[in-house]
Amino acid sequence: MSTDTHSSTDTDPTSSWIDRVSASDVGLYALLLGLVAFYLTPIQTGLVTSIKTSQALRETLPFLPPGAAGITFEKWQVAFEALSSGMINSMLFTIPSTILCAVFGSMAAYGLTLANWRGQVLVFATFIAGIFIPYQAVIIPLSEFWTVWVNLDGRLAFLWGLPLLAEKHATIIELIITHTAYGIPICTVLFRAQYQTMSWEMIEAARLDGASMWRVYRRIVLPLSIPMFAVVFIFQFTQIWNEFLFSLTLIRSVSDPAASVTLILSGLGEAMEGVDFPLRMAGAFVAALPTLIVYVLFADEFAEGVKV
Amino acid sequence: MARTTLEHITKVFTDDNANDIVAVDDVSIEIEDGEFLVLVGPSGCGKSTTLRMVAGLETITDGRIRLDDRVINDLPAQDRDIAMVFQSYALYPHMTVRGNMAFGLEESTDLPDEEIDALVTETAEMLGIEGMLDRTPDELSGGQQQRVALGRAIVRDPDVFLMDEPLSNLDAKLRSQMRMELQRLQEGLDTTTIYVTHDQTEAMTMGDRIAVLNDGKLQQVGTPLECYHRPANLFVAGFIGEPSMNMITGTIDGDAFVSDEFTYPISADLAAELEGVFDVTLGIRPEDLELSTEEPEDSRALSMIVDVVEPMGDENVVYLRFDSGDVGIDDDQLVLIATIDGISDIAGIDRVSVRIPEEALHVFSTETGNAIRNRRLEGDVERVV
Repeated sequence: MSTDTHSSTDTDPTSSWIDRVSASDVGLYALLLGLVAFYLTPIQTGLVTSIKTSQALRETLPFLPPGAAGITFEKWQVAFEALSSGMINSMLFTIPSTILCAVFGSMAAYGLTLANWRGQVLVFATFIAGIFIPYQAVIIPLSEFWTVWVNLDGRLAFLWGLPLLAEKHATIIELIITHTAYGIPICTVLFRAQYQTMSWEMIEAARLDGASMWRVYRRIVLPLSIPMFAVVFIFQFTQIWNEFLFSLTLIRSVSDPAASVTLILSGLGEAMEGVDFPLRMAGAFVAALPTLIVYVLFADEFAEGVKV
Repeated sequence: MARTTLEHITKVFTDDNANDIVAVDDVSIEIEDGEFLVLVGPSGCGKSTTLRMVAGLETITDGRIRLDDRVINDLPAQDRDIAMVFQSYALYPHMTVRGNMAFGLEESTDLPDEEIDALVTETAEMLGIEGMLDRTPDELSGGQQQRVALGRAIVRDPDVFLMDEPLSNLDAKLRSQMRMELQRLQEGLDTTTIYVTHDQTEAMTMGDRIAVLNDGKLQQVGTPLECYHRPANLFVAGFIGEPSMNMITGTIDGDAFVSDEFTYPISADLAAELEGVFDVTLGIRPEDLELSTEEPEDSRALSMIVDVVEPMGDENVVYLRFDSGDVGIDDDQLVLIATIDGISDIAGIDRVSVRIPEEALHVFSTETGNAIRNRRLEGDVERVV
């Protein structure tokens, strides 16, 4: 079989190759290559810029790699040092709020989908409305709420003497709660979409098997929503990690010990004598690394969850 | 194991336009301990709703449900000690067969793990699925999933089994095999069972008793043969039996029944029974019609044309019509269905005499649909059983 194909292609390789490629194929591949270039050029530009020395930066085009002499990883090191405390802070509020959003969203969706009670529609409507409240509209009430009304810093003062705890953790807690509250509506809608496809009879069978509402959730619904958890984890982690406005209003200052990675990144490489582009690029890549890692870790489950 | 009593059960749904829909209307049935009761009726008749009320999955608008002496109206589903087999099997897809079967025992009892495991294995052996305990439901065939669903109910040894059309997703051959197996299992376990189906064959073959529902109302409760031979009304008469009973509407005029197509003389005894009734519907089972090729020799025989013959192997189903009607499909035209021995060769014969024996005749009031007189049998139906 293979010999046949070989001989036929061998006799006249050019004509058979050209015969097989139609005009639409050419168009398709041109489009695909165009898209590849469109998406990869900025990343390529960023990557090569981040490893350029100041001289190489001046002498080469932005998207072309520098010569061997113009390569330096110094900027990466500087960026990493500058961002490391911000990375830790961001992790401290991103991971808990991602988990809390997913868990509360899943529970709320369970209560709103697989249980029957009066007023369900109204409650769900408020959840939907929650998705559409613009961040800008709540910034002032939100910062008033935390600084004037709650004053977490003062109330938790007795904790700051303990090892590993510091005043900055009050701000971290504020961010955790704020991000959780903001993430729950969209997570609820995502989980609800999955729970609506779940078999009612299966839930009823579990009830008849003697399981309470909570046990049905714990033993039937929760294990079946693991793929959706992966989707929500990736989605919420990226959202919260990259979020800037809440960080800006609740943390306020780049020099605050609780400063998040996005807040520090915003000022990185800015100086009176000009913008340090290699440093900014390196910083951007360092700040983006965790979201890439999360995506790689949950990719399989994500693919399964998106199918739902 | 428990006696289950439904007392004047009513279920009213309110639809989106705030209209009340009565799904179940004043149904009372007493199901003895260990009895196999089949709830049968056309789709939308309220049989599944009734079952779901017993299960606790639907609230009860009015009436009471009792297990032995305790009223369970307000008991949540998980505390009723009732197991249900669903049409879709409703297996837990992320658990193995073992996990599926153990779930109910884990949730409703305090049994130690080894004991649960032993019970699951024992039940699986009884159902012939012991080799599949470590597989998940998506690795099983429909018939095997059906067994797991049954096993999940049986292993809990509940007071009552509820089954909601459990065989309707199986192919015909497997269905008749499972029908037999279910009956054998139920007899062995001796657990009160309520079985919902729309299939009158399942109702006839499986139940100790049948409860026929239509439009939310209970039509008749009785043994399969009672419902077959002594239907309480036109609905039961038409629903039970395949092919359906022949129905002929007409009037009683002295000592004769007069319909558009023919006049049928009735005996003095029957005439006395029908005293004072005018509009009646005669019912006659297909197997009771007597067909012969000779000229009608008595006035209870009609001369009819053979329209279609369906050979079933064991019997032939013969569709008969009167001369007068036009050839073609006409809904108004009276068609009688007769079943005759499968070996009798009816091909090529187009005119037969059809005798309607009076002792096999059912008479219903056309107005109310209630039976006025059922067929005469040698001895009592109970003794026939």
